[in-house]
Amino acid sequence: MNKLLKVYLLLLTMFFISGTLFAQNEEDFDKEDPVEDLAKEVNTLKPGLSRFLMRGYAHAGIEFLKDNTTFVGGSFNPIFLWQQSKRLLFESELELELTQDGTELGLEYADMSYFINKYLTVRMGKFLLPYGTFGEKLHPRWINRLPSNPLGFTHEGQVGPMSDLGVEIRGAVYVTRNAWINYSLYVVNGPKLNDGVDEPEEGGQLHYNNYVDNNKAKSIGGRIGILPLYNSSLEIGLSGQFGKVGTSKTAYEDIGSQLYAIDLSYVTRLDFMKSMLDIKGQWNRVSVDQASYSDPENAGQNYTFENVSNAYYAQLSIKTAFVDNDFFNKLEFVGRYSKLELPSKAVWGGEDTQITVGINYWLDWRTVIKFAYQTLDSSGADDGHSSLTQGDAFLIHWSIGF
Amino acid sequence: MKSKKHIINLVLGMSFATALFVVGCSSTENAAVAKSGAELWGENCVRCHNAPSPTAFGDIQWETIGQHMRIRANLTAVQTDKVVEFLKMAN
Repeated sequence: MNKLLKVYLLLLTMFFISGTLFAQNEEDFDKEDPVEDLAKEVNTLKPGLSRFLMRGYAHAGIEFLKDNTTFVGGSFNPIFLWQQSKRLLFESELELELTQDGTELGLEYADMSYFINKYLTVRMGKFLLPYGTFGEKLHPRWINRLPSNPLGFTHEGQVGPMSDLGVEIRGAVYVTRNAWINYSLYVVNGPKLNDGVDEPEEGGQLHYNNYVDNNKAKSIGGRIGILPLYNSSLEIGLSGQFGKVGTSKTAYEDIGSQLYAIDLSYVTRLDFMKSMLDIKGQWNRVSVDQASYSDPENAGQNYTFENVSNAYYAQLSIKTAFVDNDFFNKLEFVGRYSKLELPSKAVWGGEDTQITVGINYWLDWRTVIKFAYQTLDSSGADDGHSSLTQGDAFLIHWSIGF
Repeated sequence: MKSKKHIINLVLGMSFATALFVVGCSSTENAAVAKSGAELWGENCVRCHNAPSPTAFGDIQWETIGQHMRIRANLTAVQTDKVVEFLKMAN
């Protein structure tokens, strides 16, 4: 019995020892494969093909105007990018802005794009129009080198559109070893002619926020940009947009519009000044077929005028980016000449000339504090013909891109 | 109805002409192929804004931004891919 007990205890001890050893081996086995553990952990973090990114920009500032001094801004433009796959992208920008009546929410653009091949992309929705470059590329607050827009280049589009609803194909290609072009062709609702029936003082004006089209005709437009130099420093662009603008089943239904724009960009390094030189310019010309409108100054009578508007600007900036001084290499000096010409015989017609000079201080590559002084010379209206102008002004804006 | 037909014909015609022009004119031996991503980053971004710091975003974010900028700045596919690769490498 005693012998049997000893054998039993021995077997029990061996069982526990072997069990413990086996367990240790399992633990050792687990510990001995950290690569697999790491691979599992990395797999949990692996991104899918769908990717979401929020970017955007914001600004705030103070403006010293002719009649008042006011803090401005508090505006915030979130940009939502949804990458569905390597070929499919949805992009949208909102604008939240404080106005006298409260907080205003606007949809800047919302469109989806599909990369058909390396030469062509198709997009549809509400998109920024490639009518020149200011509306599509240069207007965001952290990109625009001055706190204000050029005359006529308003958010809603005064002389030429900023955005519209429609479909577009675009792309870019090298045409020689050094020179390349970019191109776009689009069909959109197009602007709407204000026939002056409800607002006689605006008869003949084009309204660009034509989200439910007033006729069956669509506007066709496009832009071609030519970059002839090896270092892509020079770009010259030609844009056009054509279509009927009158409301169906009215006397204005056959009235058409012809919009043209020429833009120029030249950006180069000036070694002798240790600076970057940036020249930008754009000329917009909007022509509407001649028609008669109610004369707001003579009730019951009509009047007509040559309905051609022009808006153009030329801007030069020098950023002393390569100066060996931490303060001066963040400075940028800017000057802009801007002119708005509306039909002289229209009740809403006249001319404005604006000159703006400014100094920018860049906190980083996408954050800037802008100081600018601008003058306005206006004919026919004290505060000018653009909703953006209020006489001479000193403006300080802080803009951030993110 | 007539104007609708005109528009469709015009759009189709212009699309076809653009496609022919693009394919006919495209040069495979071009500067974008010869240049590095860093060169293309320095040349193309500054046309509108300061060249972005590579460290501002992560690799995955740069890919999405690359797609966005290919459309917005109307860059070629080669230019976009090279700039994105450079930014991912340098961040």
